[in-house]
Amino acid sequence: MLDFILSAASPFNIVLALLGVTAGTIIGSIPGLTATMAVAVLVPLTFTMPTDSALILMGAIYTGAIYGGAYAAILLNTPGTPSAIATTFDGFPMAKSGKGDLAVSVACLSSVFGGLIGALALLFLAPPLAKAALAFGSTEYFWLAVFGLSLIAGLSDGDFIKGLIGACFGILLAMIGVSEVSAEVRYTFGSTTLIGGVEIVSALIGLYCIPVLIDLVATPDRHLNVKQNTADFRLKEAFSIFRFNKLNAVRSSIIGTFVGALPGAGGSIAGLIAYSEAQRTNKAAPKFGTGNPGGIVATESANNATVGGGFIPTLVLGIPGTPPDAVILGALLVQGVRTGPTLFTDSASVVYTFIFGLLLATLLMLPTGLLIGRYAYKAIVKAPKAALVPLVAFMTVIGSFAIRNNISDSIIMIVLGVIGWIASKRGFSASPIVLGLILGRIAEEGFVQSWTIGDAMGNLSGQFFGRPISMVIIGLTLVSVLYPFMPYLKTLLLPRVFPAVLPTSESKADGFKVGFDLFGIAIMGAVGLIFYVQSNDLNVDAAVFPRTIATAMLVLVALAFLKTLTTKQVVDTPIKGSLVRMLSVPVVMLIAAFLIPTIGFIGATTMMGLVLIIPAQHDQYSTKHKLVLIGSVAFVIVACCLLFTQLLGVALP
Amino acid sequence: MRFRHIFIAATVLLSGNAVAQDFPSGSVNYVIPFNPGGESDITARLQQPYFEKLYNQQLVVAYQPGGGGAVSWSRLNSLKEDGSTMMGINLPHIVVKPEQGDVGFKTDDITAVYWFHYTPDAVVVKADSPYQTLQDLIDDAQSNPKKVIFSGSGKGTANHLAQVNFDKQTGVNTTYVSFKGTSAAVTALLGNMVTAQWGYTTVGKAQGDSVRLLAVAMDNRHPAFPDVPTFKELGIDMVSGAYRGVAVPKGASEETRQQMSDAIAAINNDKMFQQQMIDAGFAMIDVSYGQSMDSFMAEKSSEYISAARSAGIID
Repeated sequence: MLDFILSAASPFNIVLALLGVTAGTIIGSIPGLTATMAVAVLVPLTFTMPTDSALILMGAIYTGAIYGGAYAAILLNTPGTPSAIATTFDGFPMAKSGKGDLAVSVACLSSVFGGLIGALALLFLAPPLAKAALAFGSTEYFWLAVFGLSLIAGLSDGDFIKGLIGACFGILLAMIGVSEVSAEVRYTFGSTTLIGGVEIVSALIGLYCIPVLIDLVATPDRHLNVKQNTADFRLKEAFSIFRFNKLNAVRSSIIGTFVGALPGAGGSIAGLIAYSEAQRTNKAAPKFGTGNPGGIVATESANNATVGGGFIPTLVLGIPGTPPDAVILGALLVQGVRTGPTLFTDSASVVYTFIFGLLLATLLMLPTGLLIGRYAYKAIVKAPKAALVPLVAFMTVIGSFAIRNNISDSIIMIVLGVIGWIASKRGFSASPIVLGLILGRIAEEGFVQSWTIGDAMGNLSGQFFGRPISMVIIGLTLVSVLYPFMPYLKTLLLPRVFPAVLPTSESKADGFKVGFDLFGIAIMGAVGLIFYVQSNDLNVDAAVFPRTIATAMLVLVALAFLKTLTTKQVVDTPIKGSLVRMLSVPVVMLIAAFLIPTIGFIGATTMMGLVLIIPAQHDQYSTKHKLVLIGSVAFVIVACCLLFTQLLGVALP
Repeated sequence: MRFRHIFIAATVLLSGNAVAQDFPSGSVNYVIPFNPGGESDITARLQQPYFEKLYNQQLVVAYQPGGGGAVSWSRLNSLKEDGSTMMGINLPHIVVKPEQGDVGFKTDDITAVYWFHYTPDAVVVKADSPYQTLQDLIDDAQSNPKKVIFSGSGKGTANHLAQVNFDKQTGVNTTYVSFKGTSAAVTALLGNMVTAQWGYTTVGKAQGDSVRLLAVAMDNRHPAFPDVPTFKELGIDMVSGAYRGVAVPKGASEETRQQMSDAIAAINNDKMFQQQMIDAGFAMIDVSYGQSMDSFMAEKSSEYISAARSAGIID
């Protein structure tokens, strides 16, 4: 073992680990640049390297990217990678209230901790965990997705029905395009733009980031509050938060390791499940979702634990645990290394050197992560709005483009952003839609496969409900769904012991507002109806799942109608600030996206950035200030474009 | 607008003259219509170092996934036609997909210049499976209709068409469960979700001792699996699999098409490359641009379309 530790800690490998973690953190912090891409960019570099060094470099950049995703989640409410979705839930509220730097430090500690647990599991428990992961079949993935969806119960602040409608909407969005299980073209309405479907990362960027941008330009208020001007990392506070959440961190890391080892799941699901469990067991104030650092601890330790966890099936079975692992597996094949059952004995030196290298890279993430995090925080806090808005808008366009080299994705991103913004004003928050979008595909695949198998064996109910692991997941799902309603249930079942918890008497809305709320619900109903009708022309494999969801959506819409009519309580988020400024953001972005094919990517996005300065600017600037602003926005955009083309190999049109 | 002018000037300087003379005039973009880490990506990665050794130019792999490849293929003809760009293509995808609905391209829109290998279809079972031979499986399927369950990658794919063809020729009725890619289909096999897998010879290499191949759909036995019979030996007329090749935009000149074809041929001819591919379980073929390409495409198209029709995937 000592040999392997020594060879992992050779100067060359240490430099690689440091470079990898640093580059990964930066790439991961940019929404649209995922860990998969970060690893893929590196592959050609690894051809000429010894196998263990190549693995260490790729492992380091992978683990860095998963952590880097937290920055944008905390500071911009936009997950840098899908793994960081649940980081936004508490990270952004913390940043809003002046604790952004603390949130970043907590994320760093949690990521390092989770990464170490994942890597240690890879070192000591790989073969048994790989075996356990294989016990998860199609049916279990279906129920796991349903379990993930049950998180909505806790997420959607009281209005559970609207949360479920949002989830159905997200699932139906995921059905657009060529179906994975049946190869049929669905719900494209004749548009070639939609053939590729709604790409998850670009949808995430749109649903989370565009509303932030729109709200940013509306008022002159600061993007993030800064309570005190701290010079340090607030490490002491971060450590005490982490100590307080130590159980949470251990549990989340274990969840992350195991979910990472499941070849059909991945970091986003691991983070969501860990978050859901942490939320359920949390007793400390403030509430989860309003800025409790425990939410960050849970998500970030779980998603970094998936790195080590994902390598388990990759190395033991030759089956990639997560999408970046698939790329690494390919690079190993080029190197002539056979992964699989014999790897741990035949190529022990490669494997163990790599695992120690991964541990080393994870440890190095502590200093580099804190430093880069500090820098990212300062940049976002200090940037004037008039520079922040154009640059973030640019990042959303290039990020959503780069993920599939496809400008349709940028357009879909902007449109979804506007839909998400409007929907959130009517009480349909973005997270249930995102959850539906991510989990919808996994659920459908598992559902259709289980259906086919159950039907062939003549035992449908046994297939869905009779498998032991499925039964456990169904039980967990029920607990998770019912938990938020516990106070009401207790009253219902044992009225003497638990007196009724009276809902806080909210003032009833007037007729106009109720009408507006009903209109919002009716639009969701129309979406459900369109998808239902469109399902009629599809073959049974392609239609069964979306039709079921559309039906459920229609039922929920009817319930929401009844609820609004009887209680007269509506969500009505007032729109603050100038509507013209707000609307100009998506309009300018859309025009730029449509201009890209004719005037080129750099031209169109630079123009977009410069035009967006106007609505984003609230203060009076001197001419000199204005010139500096224009110059720096244009410079950053052109520099970023060149970076993408030259360094990351993204061909911009 | 000044920025734009400077940039145009810079790009023109960097990319050199657009008229193709020497091939390649600079780095070549290789667009893969699938996700990084997929089989097509791995193939491109295996070719990459050989291309760079041959031409001393970079081969830049870029991904444009979506719609099972349709997103890329529908854009092929809008790419640069000066020999700086080629795109990975797959059979049966480019034949079957356009028949399934409006996917933004037709098979004829694709100018294939080379088919360089295929992954032959194979019946894969776990090492501890009771089926020792293909006949064991057929016997079981005959006495238990529908209950022999295969996993496979996708619908309308090589795996799926192989299952339909196999059922038709042997007169059995098996169940096919579509998974998202070969890795997921292997996972289902190893996890006992299914009784067998319609996979490829590459699965046999990647999984080693944990699986057993019962038959491969080739003309002759695969050099890496000398003990595994072909379907033909067992009296089933099946030679099939997933073919991979490259295409160029329609506007590319005859010269560019030929040069691209020659480049891939040169990689395929490298002895070390061939050994690497065979070790990984691939089967090499060489269909180059010109007459042989036309007849190959015609033959494959009619074969796949009739198979897809009898599978009920297309009308």
